[in-house]
This record gives sequence, C-alpha cells and structure tokens, in this order.
Amino acid sequence: MTRRIHWSNWVGLAGLILLLVGSAVGLFVAPPERHMGDVQRIMYVHVPSAWVAMVCYTFALVCAIAFLLQRTERWDARMTGAIEVGVVLNALLLAQGMIWARATWGVWWDWDVRLTTSLVMLLLFAGILALRSFVEDPERRAVWSAVTTIVAFVDVPLVYFCVRWWRSLHQIQSTPDTVDPAMVVPLRLNAFAFLFLAIWMISRRADIERLIRRREHVSEPPPLAIEGGPHA
Amino acid sequence: MPEGVIIGGWNYVIAAYSLTAVGLAAYAWSLAHRARRRADDER
Repeated sequence: MTRRIHWSNWVGLAGLILLLVGSAVGLFVAPPERHMGDVQRIMYVHVPSAWVAMVCYTFALVCAIAFLLQRTERWDARMTGAIEVGVVLNALLLAQGMIWARATWGVWWDWDVRLTTSLVMLLLFAGILALRSFVEDPERRAVWSAVTTIVAFVDVPLVYFCVRWWRSLHQIQSTPDTVDPAMVVPLRLNAFAFLFLAIWMISRRADIERLIRRREHVSEPPPLAIEGGPHA
Repeated sequence: MPEGVIIGGWNYVIAAYSLTAVGLAAYAWSLAHRARRRADDER
C-alpha cells in the first residue's frame, strides 16, 4: 500500500532546496558590499527571517479574527502554529541582527527603535504562547489567545515602518528596490525558502495542536450531576 | 586600505548562517518529536 505524502511536506522540501541554493548564491556568488564587505552576506538570512516572521504574525492575526467570527478549532490551531513559527524566526532575526551589529556597529545591542520594537514583538508573541500553557480550558484558551494576538499585532507595523518614521541607527528596509540587482537573486531565493519552510512548520504545528485538542476532548470528565437534580 | 570598509568578517557570516541552520533544524526536530509523541498517545 502506498502512503500519500502530505502536501506541506513537498512545500517544506522545496523550501529546504531553495534555502541551500539561496544561501550558496548569497555566500559564494553575490558580490561583497562596498562598505560592509562580506559581512553584508548576513542580509540573505536576516532579511528573509524578518519578512517571514512578520508574515507569520499577520497570518496569526487573520486566524485570530477568523476564530472569533467562526469559533472553530482549526483557526485556533493555525493561529498557534503561526505564532510559534513567528517566534522562532523572530528569535533568529534578533540573534542574526546582534551578530551583524557586532561586526558593523561594534556592539551586540543598541536600544535603537528597530531593535527595541523587534524585541517587544518577540516578547509579546512569546507571552501569548506562555498564556496558552497556563489556561486549561480549551475554549477560554483559544479566545484569550485570539484577543491577545490582535492586541500584540499592533507592534508589527511599528517594526516595519519605524525606520522611516523615526531616526534609527538601523538602515531602512532592504527590499529588491533598495539593494543592488546582483544581491536580489539570493535575497528572493531565501525569502521564498523561509516562506515555504514556515508554511510547512505552521501546517505541522497546527496538526499537533489539533491532536492536543482531540485528546483534551477525550479526557474531559463527564459533566457532574447537579445536587438535588433528577439524577443526583 | 580604503577607509570605512570592513575587511574580513567571515567568522560573523559563518556564525549567523550556522545559528540559522541550527535554529531551523532544532525546531523542525521538535515538531517531528511532538508529532510522533501525539501519534503514540492516539494509539
């Protein structure tokens, strides 16, 4: 009997291949930057991490709103997956940024507006995951997570636009329009690589969340008989 | 040597790429591990 491979596994495999190709092009083919030299190659993992972390949080926002409108557990499961993957990429983003900052600014960290709002973004969404682990009632957990996700999302556009709105040590957004054409190919390859890997991870994490919910339903105790009622 | 240009720095690049690879691999492994454990619980 042949076993069908889940569609998300193909997406994950495509992401892995793209990541290997994109990173190889970024490390060995793309030219060094005029001022930062080879250190600028960190951009090919740093910028895609940032983009896709924000895409994950945006998807989590969509799932949160959909959950509050429809109250179906699949939206809660997808929201959980999107937040968790967003937090992983957000943590990688900060760590890569610290390494890049040490090489170019001479310090590991600066309380610059871009760095600070990115750290706040990580703490807010990690806090939602912590909140989920404290709430035992699945329905209440899902509602609280959805509401806090909508509130936490306020920081996401701040992270993106803060470098244009306020004076910042951090450079403006690196996009295909703001970097040299020779650097666009590895940047795009890795952006799609991270996106595909995130889709695979969110899908897998959502499946795990659905299994957790199913087990919670199974292990729920039967409703207690009301004292003095007909079956008491 | 031109002024204001960073020379070298490959150690930082290697550190950033290694950290990314390890982070993504560790999270993928944790997903596989949790999925297997949940599947065992189902049985």
